[in-house]
Amino acid sequence: MSDRKVISPTSRQEGHAELVMEIDDEGIVTKGRYFSITPVRGLEKMVTGKAPETAPVLCQRICGVCPVPHTLASVEAMDDSLGIEIPRAAELMRELIISASNLNSHAIHHFLIATDFVPDELFKTAVNSVETIRKNAQYVVDMCAGEGIHPSDIRIGGVANNLSELARRKLYARLSALVPVVDNHIELICNLVADGALVKDVDGTLLSDEREVIPKGLGAIDAPVFASDRIYGKRDFFDLDRFTEIVPEAWYDDPEIGKRCCTSVPLYDGLAVETGPRARADAFFNYKEKGVVAQHVARAREMRMYLSRAIAILDELDTSAATLADFDPRGTGKLGIGVIEAPRGTDIHMAQVKDGKTQFYSALVPTTWNIPTMGPATEGFHYKWGAHVIRAYDPCLSCATHVMVVDDEDKVS
Amino acid sequence: MAFGTYKEVVSARATDKAIQKVAQDGGIVTALLTYALEENIIEGAVVAGNTEDAWKPEPTIAMTADEIIAAAGTKYTFSPNLLAFKTAVRQYGIEKLGTVGTPCQVQGIRKMQSYPFATRFLADKISLLIGIFCMENFPRASLQTFIEGKLDSQFDLTEKMDIGKGKFWIETPEGTKGLALKETHGYEQAGCNICQDYVAELADVSTGSVGSPDGWSTVFSRTDAGADIFTAAVEAGVIETKAMDDVKPGLGLLEKLENGKKSKGKDECARRAEMGLPTPW
Ligand SMILES: Cc1cc2nc3c(=O)[nH]c(=O)nc-3n(C[C@H](O)[C@H](O)[C@H](O)COP(=O)(O)OP(=O)(O)OC[C@H]3O[C@@H](n4cnc5c(N)ncnc54)[C@H](O)[C@@H]3O)c2cc1C
Ligand code: SF4
Repeated sequence: MSDRKVISPTSRQEGHAELVMEIDDEGIVTKGRYFSITPVRGLEKMVTGKAPETAPVLCQRICGVCPVPHTLASVEAMDDSLGIEIPRAAELMRELIISASNLNSHAIHHFLIATDFVPDELFKTAVNSVETIRKNAQYVVDMCAGEGIHPSDIRIGGVANNLSELARRKLYARLSALVPVVDNHIELICNLVADGALVKDVDGTLLSDEREVIPKGLGAIDAPVFASDRIYGKRDFFDLDRFTEIVPEAWYDDPEIGKRCCTSVPLYDGLAVETGPRARADAFFNYKEKGVVAQHVARAREMRMYLSRAIAILDELDTSAATLADFDPRGTGKLGIGVIEAPRGTDIHMAQVKDGKTQFYSALVPTTWNIPTMGPATEGFHYKWGAHVIRAYDPCLSCATHVMVVDDEDKVS
Repeated sequence: MAFGTYKEVVSARATDKAIQKVAQDGGIVTALLTYALEENIIEGAVVAGNTEDAWKPEPTIAMTADEIIAAAGTKYTFSPNLLAFKTAVRQYGIEKLGTVGTPCQVQGIRKMQSYPFATRFLADKISLLIGIFCMENFPRASLQTFIEGKLDSQFDLTEKMDIGKGKFWIETPEGTKGLALKETHGYEQAGCNICQDYVAELADVSTGSVGSPDGWSTVFSRTDAGADIFTAAVEAGVIETKAMDDVKPGLGLLEKLENGKKSKGKDECARRAEMGLPTPW
């Protein structure tokens, strides 16, 4: 006999999604389906027909968690379409911004999983640690990108301003002082994850007061990894010819879910992929552990890498150098691609500018890639672990939900 | 109470000759900002800096005493200093910011601090707010009209402008010329006609020339922060003071001018309200 367990909406993630698990008599998930129920907003349509500078400003509103990666992906796509080579100092500033922003975002995720993993006596320590990291990381974003949320200074052609020497020295000193904090934080998170989590039923009832060790292999999936770079993101990585997008009705074998799902399903080489911190660790550091624990460990370790890179950039940055290239905003109609490694995976924006206007815009965002991967990742284990699997992938649905063009006649569904 | 809330009012001037030479009046603004910078009370200041174009000030982020001194002197036209705040606390990394502004700018800053919409992590970084007295301000083209059209002098070559003793004065390489203030009426920005704050009532410290002798300034210490800095600057010998009672023309004149501004401003507000126009007060 099979039964269904549904979590709707799945909690402690950005946006709204549903996890539908079919289970056997033992409660083991035989089929997991995860899909977005966050309504479509259609930012790509809003930027079409407008001046290219509009795109980064509007597209950063795709998400309140990842405004920085979206702005960066957007300006990268525009730079590419307009044939702009940005100055070296701007490259460094952009990389500094993503490093700090991702460091901050990973720390936020630790807030989201705190009630799963952190016992009462360590709660204050964990929260303080997250707070210190966030405060310092966001300070870097504030200074380099103009605003921590909805950055004003990441521009087509570079960034609006270089840092002053005072700011550079301050950031260098602050981030250097953050090293032991982040080291301790990573150790704390990795130990807590190894100790286990509180497990609940789908209605939120606590099943045991004791933390349970995460079963080996939970959340592991055999999907190709999708990662362009260790830190920033590489445009050449993305080959449009290898990309297909299918409608949810064709992907989910349940017509009702197919109908309610708000995202299309992106495939690379015809396959659903895994993106995010573990995928990056797998692709660039040969980290082959998989599943929930591996996701948490890889995410925590990335924090140290981001911090080290940020410090190195601050050491190298020439604060007297120009940060903005001159460019001709008219465009030739070239399809520009921007690829950014966002906290939750590879964020790709595509833009085409001609006659000074954006003719085409599309965003293929991290969680969209992971949505078809996360449901099956719950399979083979008790449904009580379902929510843990989803949280380990740290989905962010608000950006994952997008307009899609289903036929060539510009019909939007 | 006349002059808003304050702890102390004195007549004062900067002791540094270099500041006295370039300052408009007693050099209080420049002396306080440079002192605060040197004492690390502020890390930088937004001032009305000079640009390549004559008498076209621009909000300027000064990180050194020299840069603050270079911006000394009154520009009788707009320098929207608030514009540079975000850059100052962001890219410039200034977490303790000093600034100077006309009473209306000071009001804007205080309002921003009370309701910090779109000024996240900014409003709390203003450590020293110096207000300058202000009767009215002029568009740059008005200044050009006074100097070229009415005083038959060269705008670009004007070295200093001042208002005092009923006249608008210019210093040029050929000497000093004065224009009766009534000749400037109608050329001020319209908003000034409803303004009722003469002495920057909401600043930490406010200062202007009226009430004190030439080369000296009248200074109100208003807030704890303002009084602390002013007292420390006096104790450090950066600023010398005299009791207001010992100087001429004294507070009587200042009060007369303040009352005049307030009543004119109120009348104009009433006149506009009668016409159905919106007014902020
Ligand atoms: C438009 C205007 C009208 C004024 N009207 C009067 C008046 O009626 N009675 C009176 O007693 N005083 C008035 N003042 C103030 C006076 O002219 C002096 O600025 C003041 O006494 C300070 O002199 P100081 O020697 O201490 O300053 P300084 O050491 O010379 O420094 C002056 C500071 O003010 C800044 N500044 C100059 N122009 C502006 C501007 N337009 N906006 C913002 N900041 C500026 C400069 O950057 C500098 O930092 C007025 C000033 C302005 C700008
Ligand atoms: S008169 Fe009032 S409104 Fe006009 S510049 Fe001075 S303070 Fe501002």
